[in-house]
Amino acid sequence: MAALVGTSAGRRLKRVLTYGAAVLVLVVTAFPLYGIILTSIQTEPDIRSVDVAFVPTYIETEHYQRIFDEASGIPVAESMVNSLVVALATAFLTVAIAVPAAYALHRMSVPGRRIILGGFAAIYILPTLLFVLPLFIAVVQLGLYDTYIGLVLPYTAFTLPFMVWIMGSFVRAIPVEVEEMARIDGAGLRQLMFRIIIPLLRPGIFAGLLLGFILAWVEFLTPLLFTSDLSVLTVTLGLFRSTMDIAIGQLAAATVLTALPVILITAIFQRNISEVVTAGVER
Amino acid sequence: MTPQAQVVEVRAGRTRRRGRLIAAAMVAPAVLVVCGVYAYPALSTLAYSVSKIDLSPRFRIEGFVWLRNFINQLTDPHFWQATWITIYFGVMLCLLTVVLSFLIALLLNKTFFGRGLLRVTVLLPWAVPPVASGVLWVQMFHAEFGFLNGLIRAFGGEGGIIWLGGSTIALHSVLITEVWRWIPFATLFILAGLQIVPKSVREAAAIDGAGSWRGFRHVTFPLMLPVVVPVVIFLFVWAMKVFDTIFVLTRGGPTRGTTTLNFLTYRQGFVQFDFGNAAATAYLLSALTVVVIAGLGWMLARSRKLAGM
Repeated sequence: MAALVGTSAGRRLKRVLTYGAAVLVLVVTAFPLYGIILTSIQTEPDIRSVDVAFVPTYIETEHYQRIFDEASGIPVAESMVNSLVVALATAFLTVAIAVPAAYALHRMSVPGRRIILGGFAAIYILPTLLFVLPLFIAVVQLGLYDTYIGLVLPYTAFTLPFMVWIMGSFVRAIPVEVEEMARIDGAGLRQLMFRIIIPLLRPGIFAGLLLGFILAWVEFLTPLLFTSDLSVLTVTLGLFRSTMDIAIGQLAAATVLTALPVILITAIFQRNISEVVTAGVER
Repeated sequence: MTPQAQVVEVRAGRTRRRGRLIAAAMVAPAVLVVCGVYAYPALSTLAYSVSKIDLSPRFRIEGFVWLRNFINQLTDPHFWQATWITIYFGVMLCLLTVVLSFLIALLLNKTFFGRGLLRVTVLLPWAVPPVASGVLWVQMFHAEFGFLNGLIRAFGGEGGIIWLGGSTIALHSVLITEVWRWIPFATLFILAGLQIVPKSVREAAAIDGAGSWRGFRHVTFPLMLPVVVPVVIFLFVWAMKVFDTIFVLTRGGPTRGTTTLNFLTYRQGFVQFDFGNAAATAYLLSALTVVVIAGLGWMLARSRKLAGM
């Protein structure tokens, strides 16, 4: 093998192996996604046929229309609105709390700074249910069961420590010189924050909003335990409620629509996500 | 010190104190939220774990039972079954995900036509909400008209595997789903690490006559350990918490085959409404996680030293 490297035959073999592996990886990662889309555009009898079709011969949009019908039982449209409201509220609330905290923790002297940052990271080691047992009692006793607030507050709290960390990496990327210049020019803290820091943090804030939105959109345990009424049904919970249903095509269509926003955001901002992860490695 | 300098000094002290106060005020909301939603509940759960709790008609702590809830767990064969399943699941998830992701990362580290497309595709499973990935894998695993059996039949096999039927095979089906979901994150992380390991180091090894495998074994792999161990830590923590996939695919069955400690906590808490035992299980799971993570953290420190970072 080693002798082959460098000869043209060896190089060709290597090339073939590379492309073979690339195709294999592509198929294995994408196939389940492809499968659910395929299921969502086939008729129910074809979905249930033992002769599994791997290439669509037609496109059936009926399932997509059906799930938006009033009569379909699972209010998909309402659940999307619910999730949108809750996810947007969570994203803005989390970022609004996380940005000042991250700035203060990294650029000002806060007593117990290391303990706070360490504690925020350590929290993620523990199972969520450890915190959810008493929270469930609290939510019921405070009358927040089956309300938007009963979802937004836990979502925000569950996302917050992570968000402070992510925002921290953006804060640290701001050169200290910029702040010193502004200070010398006589800018107070408020001016510094609103005129200098927040504009410079804009890409980070944007990334944080996307992240907060996604994490709230996909959350399942909280709505499962803290809601039961269809009027506050979220999209992810809707999927589970409909697994009891018999219409596989409709379930597939609803799944595609639930995953779509997140997949689109990820595909579009793929580079930014990689950057955040890369920054994590370099540290 | 001149009087002026003294004035300046006092002022500076005052501003510093003021600055610290403002900084504390900026951190306070985050700390308060975290205390309210993590610290206070964690302590409450600790109290539950040594209490007898009545939930109907309303929540009431009936009395202090010492360590009875913990002893209940530690003497219950179901608890130990769940513990072994959890450990096996965690180890397998880390092992499979890291090996596959390392291979994919090595591939993506080469230059070839279509690499950009592959990078995006590899990321996609990460973007699928866990519940949605559960639903789509239910469709893949379906015994009669699922895609996996269909694929096996297309290649001439019998394709009659009941993926979610037995407790062992169901556990591995859940494992496949989770590995698929976590490959994107691990690949991205390892790829970023590979790009940091200077190419010149690997080239130097190649010139010294180290073949592909030996170069990997003695040069790339040790240098990559400080990157791989954090990935393992992430994955293990995740494996300890996995819930959505199990809930959608198997509900912890068949015959408790996919009931991890986390899922056992859920069942005790929100199916049997036995908060005392659920709290004890949650704490035992936390202890298991902390012990493993501490071990991995020690390994990380060592590997950093070995890699000279």
